[in-house]
Amino acid sequence: MHIDPLAEIRQDPMARMGLFILAAISLMALFAPLLSSYSPNDYTGKIFSPPDMDHPLGTDSVGQDIWVRLLYGARTSLIVAGAVAIISSTLSLLIGATAALIGGFYERFCMRTIDAITSLPSIVVMILVAAYLRPSLMLLILLISALSWPTGARIVRSQVLSLKERAHITAARTFGAGKRHIITTHILPELSPIITSMMMMDARRAVFMEAGLAFLGVSDPLVISWGKMMHQAMAFTYLDVWKWWLVPTGFALSATLIGISFLSFSLEAAMDPRLRKGNVRL
Amino acid sequence: MLSIKDLLVSFGKKQILRGIDLSLERGECLAIIGESGAGKTTLGLSIMGLAGGSATGEISFQGKNLLALSPEELRQLRGREMAMVFQNVEDALDPVQRIEGQIAEAIAVHRSISARSAREAALQHLLFVGLDSEKARMYPHQLSGGERQRVLIAMALVNDPDLLILDEPTASLDALTKADMVRLFRSSILGRVCLVITHDISLAADLADKMAVLYAGRIVEMGSVQDILRTPRHPYTRGLIRSYPSMNATKDLQGIPGRMDHGLSGCPFHERCTQSIDICSRLVPPPQEKDGRTIACHRGGIVPLLEVEGISLNFDSYSALSDVSLTLYEGETLALVGESGSGKTTLSKVIMGIYNADKGAIVLEGQRVSKWDGAFYSRVQMVFQNPRESVSHRMNVLEAVLEPLQVQNLGSPEERIRMAKEVLDQVELPNDDDFLRRYPHELSGGEVQRVAIARAMVLRPKLLIADEPTSALDPSVQAKILKLLLNLQEKTGLAIIFITHDIALARKVSDQIAVMREGRIVEMGRANEILAEPRHHYTRLLVNCAGGRSEGNGGGLHPAEDSLAIRRFC
Repeated sequence: MHIDPLAEIRQDPMARMGLFILAAISLMALFAPLLSSYSPNDYTGKIFSPPDMDHPLGTDSVGQDIWVRLLYGARTSLIVAGAVAIISSTLSLLIGATAALIGGFYERFCMRTIDAITSLPSIVVMILVAAYLRPSLMLLILLISALSWPTGARIVRSQVLSLKERAHITAARTFGAGKRHIITTHILPELSPIITSMMMMDARRAVFMEAGLAFLGVSDPLVISWGKMMHQAMAFTYLDVWKWWLVPTGFALSATLIGISFLSFSLEAAMDPRLRKGNVRL
Repeated sequence: MLSIKDLLVSFGKKQILRGIDLSLERGECLAIIGESGAGKTTLGLSIMGLAGGSATGEISFQGKNLLALSPEELRQLRGREMAMVFQNVEDALDPVQRIEGQIAEAIAVHRSISARSAREAALQHLLFVGLDSEKARMYPHQLSGGERQRVLIAMALVNDPDLLILDEPTASLDALTKADMVRLFRSSILGRVCLVITHDISLAADLADKMAVLYAGRIVEMGSVQDILRTPRHPYTRGLIRSYPSMNATKDLQGIPGRMDHGLSGCPFHERCTQSIDICSRLVPPPQEKDGRTIACHRGGIVPLLEVEGISLNFDSYSALSDVSLTLYEGETLALVGESGSGKTTLSKVIMGIYNADKGAIVLEGQRVSKWDGAFYSRVQMVFQNPRESVSHRMNVLEAVLEPLQVQNLGSPEERIRMAKEVLDQVELPNDDDFLRRYPHELSGGEVQRVAIARAMVLRPKLLIADEPTSALDPSVQAKILKLLLNLQEKTGLAIIFITHDIALARKVSDQIAVMREGRIVEMGRANEILAEPRHHYTRLLVNCAGGRSEGNGGGLHPAEDSLAIRRFC
């Protein structure tokens, strides 16, 4: 049974679509200064101006260009997504794998901690903690990571537990292999597809959480965020401006989430034999 | 009556016998076995004083040192006190004399007797060996091989010698004639000292009560025939017995690697021996006597490689193994047989350190194993039941075979590749780049199994545990893999624990069989004995099932349980 999910999804249209969306948004974020003549903090003097040549999406209630703020908002989302994916999946991997490999009291301690964290109502905790410590981008990233690693850690632990009993790992042990060899040549390669999909999951969750918290008003006042933009736009629903303000922001947020989802769906389908299309290679 | 002390015989610079010590009393018959060129015939000829070359030491017979006698005195003894039946039946008789004449002459040489009574005595002796007066009047070329052999026997016996030496007496005879001759030999060796020089082990077993194994001019093992044949203790003796097609042996024939070399320093056998250590190439092992057996081996004979002592293992309340003990010798195969769930694989995993036993000890090469580390695994390896799972699907053939070397940190990268290619060659797999780059799912079942064996063998272990290595293979591939294992055993002295539920298979590969049931060894012993006379009813059942006989419940100790087993097995 030789399956390499990462190689397989390259052929999948869904994965290609997801990659395309994410690439587009990343490029927008990366080249934001080139795609607009304004800076996100410039006040143009015109408020609630409808889209025109100068302002593709018009201006907001304080006269800032919505298009440029949308571009810079993508940066925030992607930074949060990337950072949380890395921090959270690293934590999941470290704690999940060590729990499975070391076992004993350490494992029980880890698992109970995970249970405790997953049982917390995350939004409420984050609002309270952020409010108490003053919201900043860094704090948000750490908070979201701290609350999302347990799910991944559980998956990693169960995978490592079943991997540990696999015959090729027993065989490696009977060559005299230490933990290090087994982890680097047998366990990590086997975990890589799972880690990838875990990172996708974390990223999706992080984008959504960041936007959600910002929408609720928990965010760094100096940081441009899609959630905050939508929050501001919501205050003006009685005017016509929300069309140019709320809809494009919501669309950008959805596109990011959909892009990540497509990729992770495709990956999951490749990894889970029951979901595989035309499943003949077993 | 005959005793030989430190006999050295050399022809020119070439030493043929290098210190033979043995002694025989009247009525004893000693078989001398060994490969051609070991010096067997030279020993016989030296006793007769016919060897030529120079001999030192002492051959004392009837109180006289034969080596100190003059040629004339020796001639007096030859034919009267000691006689030899020669190897080559064709050349030993005079073609132009009637046989009765030849025998009468042998009598007349040693006794002052009239020609007439000599002839009568000759006829009598010929009758004793089964040749009537009509045959007695014939010329040698008119007789068959067996009849000529009888003439030679008669000739050797006419003067009632005390010492009779038979040199390959049945080498060129067919089985029926041979059986006849063996009967004749048996009656003619009574009351004499007898030496049988032969490489025919069944003849030695039929005639002799003691046996000496000669190798490159030295006796490497000596003891009673039954003991030696049942449990050879010197590696060379075991090799000889394994290469002899005996009707009792069940294991396939195996040879001894290499060739005999007379000029070696140290133990003469060390180059071909699979358990030789440093000292073997430096010092000649002195013969040591123990329990009526003399062995010349620095390691005291075949060493026990693995001893399992009273292993018990419980999984919660379920007792998976209880008080299991066994001993496996270097270069031997132990088959663990029994139905599924009898604890065979569990036992192997305890030996490998995958499970920790609750009680008992594993002793490897005389040392109790306390931790299972790299050093242990470089000596003991295991081939797992399902090769497709035991080789990671992410590794191609080369990576899979290199893995153990990397883990053990042996050699440089280039050496590792060379070793991997060598071992692939050993297991008869191709080692070209195309094959090396293939992944397990691109190989056939037999190929993956051989890759798994190569992975285990690349570390050159002394012990291989093979867990159902052929259960998923068709018979022709199975045969190849078993041959492969036995060949490795022959070449490298590999000891094998062969786990199987197929007793017919176990029969072909094993020296010992241990029958397991419900976590216990219910019966253990030499493979041929277990199969011929199983004692435990469960073994009987297994043997009967394997032979296609499912009737009878082996003594009916537990009829209900047995019928369950019958259903499972037959």
